[in-house]
Amino acid sequence: MIDEDIAEATLKSAGSRADLLLAEVRIEERNLRDLSVKSSQVNNISTFQDAGMNVRIVLRSGVGFASSNVVSKAEGLRLVKHALKLAKTAARKNPVALSEEPAVKTTWEVRQKKPLVDVSTEEKLEYLNSLDSAVMKTKVKVQGRYYEVKDYELSGYFANSDGSRIRSFLPRIKIESFNLVSAKGQTAQSIRQWGASGGWERKDEWDLLDGLPQEMRMLKKQLEHGKMVKPGTYDLICGSEVAGIAAHESCGHPMEADRILGREMSQAGKSFVSPDMVGKQIGSRYATVMDDPTVPGTYGYYPYDEEGVKARPRYLYKEGRINEFLQNRETAARMGVQSNAASRSEFYLREPIVRMANTFVAPGDFEEDEIIGDVKNGVLMHSFTEWNIDDKRYNQKYVSREAYFIKDGELAGPAKKCTLEITTPGFWSAIDAVSKKVAFDSAECGKGDPMQSMAVCTGGPVLRLRSVVLK
Amino acid sequence: MSALKGTAQQVMEIALKAGADDAVAEAIETDIKQVRFSNSQIDAVNAWTERNVILFVAVGNRVMSSDLRELDKLGPLTEQVVSLAKRAPPSKTYGGIASGKFKYAKPKFDKRILSLDDPSEPVLEAIAGAEAEGAVNVGGTLFVRHISTGIASSGGALAFDENASLDLSVRAFSQPEASGHTLSCTSCLSALKPRETGQRAGQLASRAKNPVQGEQGKFDLVIEPMCLTELINTTSNMMSAMLVEIGSSMYAKKIGKPVASKHVTFVDDPTIESMSRQNFDHEGVPTRRNVVIKDGILKTYLHSTSTAKRFKTKTTANAGFPIPTPFAMPNQPMAFHPVVVPGGWKVDEMISDVKKGLYINNAWYTRYQNYSTGEFSTIPRDAILRIENGEIVGAAKNVRVSDNMLNLWKSIDALSKNTEEIYWWDEAAPPSTVPTVRIRQMSITRSS
Repeated sequence: MIDEDIAEATLKSAGSRADLLLAEVRIEERNLRDLSVKSSQVNNISTFQDAGMNVRIVLRSGVGFASSNVVSKAEGLRLVKHALKLAKTAARKNPVALSEEPAVKTTWEVRQKKPLVDVSTEEKLEYLNSLDSAVMKTKVKVQGRYYEVKDYELSGYFANSDGSRIRSFLPRIKIESFNLVSAKGQTAQSIRQWGASGGWERKDEWDLLDGLPQEMRMLKKQLEHGKMVKPGTYDLICGSEVAGIAAHESCGHPMEADRILGREMSQAGKSFVSPDMVGKQIGSRYATVMDDPTVPGTYGYYPYDEEGVKARPRYLYKEGRINEFLQNRETAARMGVQSNAASRSEFYLREPIVRMANTFVAPGDFEEDEIIGDVKNGVLMHSFTEWNIDDKRYNQKYVSREAYFIKDGELAGPAKKCTLEITTPGFWSAIDAVSKKVAFDSAECGKGDPMQSMAVCTGGPVLRLRSVVLK
Repeated sequence: MSALKGTAQQVMEIALKAGADDAVAEAIETDIKQVRFSNSQIDAVNAWTERNVILFVAVGNRVMSSDLRELDKLGPLTEQVVSLAKRAPPSKTYGGIASGKFKYAKPKFDKRILSLDDPSEPVLEAIAGAEAEGAVNVGGTLFVRHISTGIASSGGALAFDENASLDLSVRAFSQPEASGHTLSCTSCLSALKPRETGQRAGQLASRAKNPVQGEQGKFDLVIEPMCLTELINTTSNMMSAMLVEIGSSMYAKKIGKPVASKHVTFVDDPTIESMSRQNFDHEGVPTRRNVVIKDGILKTYLHSTSTAKRFKTKTTANAGFPIPTPFAMPNQPMAFHPVVVPGGWKVDEMISDVKKGLYINNAWYTRYQNYSTGEFSTIPRDAILRIENGEIVGAAKNVRVSDNMLNLWKSIDALSKNTEEIYWWDEAAPPSTVPTVRIRQMSITRSS
């Protein structure tokens, strides 16, 4: 149980200096468990408890952040002194400003039907072994078989000098798989992840006992019957997984205000987007991309960000135009807007920075068979394996894990290694149809220095891109 | 500081008393200070302090690991881990921990690093250096790291190690799409060269001005140590026996076979002075210089005691953490300090022998279609310079290296005399000491 008095005493010790813009204290407790199985054998069982705190001091002259895995009033006092010293060290040329945000006093939690803490190691192992057995029963040759379940509960208490006091409880579960399928002297890999906020019950929604064997059979078919795509111009149907990664990489990331302002310039990079591009056309009218932390149960769910700002859906690209950047209080003040609650940190040891939550292409009004039915000569890229994008978020590449040719509106056999290498405006401008149903995938997003792995979702409906070059 | 060794020993003994057959306890103190800068000014100064004990226990072949972070409760937490191990399902592939009379090198580190009270000074020097060479926008980080570790195992390991290091990263822009990125990574305070590091980033950024759209096709590449270490990140990972076991390695079934050109010798050497010098692995086995690739031939995978038993060989002292970490699976053997043995070339000579090619300062976002075959792509991102008939004739942008990683290593035909220690943002990682290399006829692609 987090001792709120420690946070209050720590905050009080930050004082009320004339140059103090903000003082924040966060205390966290984490209970983590991890179990992995490799080729039907236990690889690892880990469990640990963790508690720690951080202090962030924002002066006009700079920002100082100090954190520790010791929680006490004395440690709080030490962290305040340290953070103050570090903030002064920064000596910014341009004074720091923060957007004015209302103080929040609240408690929030994500409920669990089957609490993660009550699930025994035996039950988890049985579940992972049942996945492995289901894969083995397919009779597909699967050389590599690795499965891992991670789950944790995160309790937090946040207090700032503006008067916010937020108590939170967030359980999360994640299952990862690595499989390597062989057929006809070739191999294909499948690296997958499923994640959610909530209890052990959430895994049932993923239906992996059916889904993983299907994936193995699919990869075998791709290897046995897949034909290479002849390089050329095609209509491309992107499944939700591909729509989601494009939303994340070529919309979510370039719309992060800290990146736009250059703060990530030597790590994750800058952005092709500049502050004056709000309203600029980036895609067709079908290209609407949202980032919404408030979708219940998602892996990237949170109702208040790490600066205590209430979360809301953000329309990043709206009907093909650049609409709204992801902001924290500092970037918002520099751009003359309010924060939209995009400040997150992986855990108490790391500074909060601008991050995505659940980034997805908004649904349209087409049926999926309608989208495919109108393609004469095309390819359906259902899912991807290799992908990357440059650090200005302009040139991206997606290579299919599962793809099919489309002839006269019908699927016409598996397509191997379908490769799309395209610019960001090229991708979003080519869309002429979007299906009604959005599906989410969970992912870990990397950003920050030290790298912070962040729980997010990517997602989307099925998209149709007209006349794009496939390699 | 032998207190850490004492803590590790105490935890290990509690574990044995509670019923563990094997136990390894690693007590770690981490103090890190970071200055972040962008747009040629300091953004934030961060510091973090961690004190923890990583514990591995086995009761028979029932294994359990934990990261003990409440140091005032080490006794009961340790007993709890052993109790959980007793009830854990058996792990038939568990091969035990190393045992023996281990001899360790004496920990050596530059204590002057700890007295660097104001790390903003070198940062301001680096910014000034880059600006003096034409940079208009400079960003990066300076880390001051101090890590102490005590380890004790029921197999006889008992040791203490301490290291301190500095790593400065400077990315300079002369234009919005013209950048250079340089590093100064060192375990010696006097070897930190902030002004020179900034100057070189500024020079590269100036040379990268007015980039033209890159061409597709086959090109010879001359890649700097930072770019090579970006590739070593995944390459060295695939040398881990555990990655080989699960089919996630292009090196599977290739011991004794050519996996690189004859010019390439690849070593993992945590014994040399470096950011990642360490005297023992995470089982407590004294580290050593392991030649992984000798003259292009794969000699060994990286092993812990457990993987070595499964592969019917001996540990290479590369045991990883028993708990999950951001870039490795639990219990995954890992490279600690990759070294590519230098060649005899000057960089100018390497360039002068290229008809049509690219000189690449840095790359990022290396991803694989298939780790078992090595098909991959990576994105050059700083100072991509066009080489024609042995001379640099301008800069390029928007290109991607899309090839096969085994083919890349087999296509190296020249290595520079000089090497550089590299570590950047978990992309160019783990800390490595490598030369500039020339790679013949790599496939370059770009957006259509």
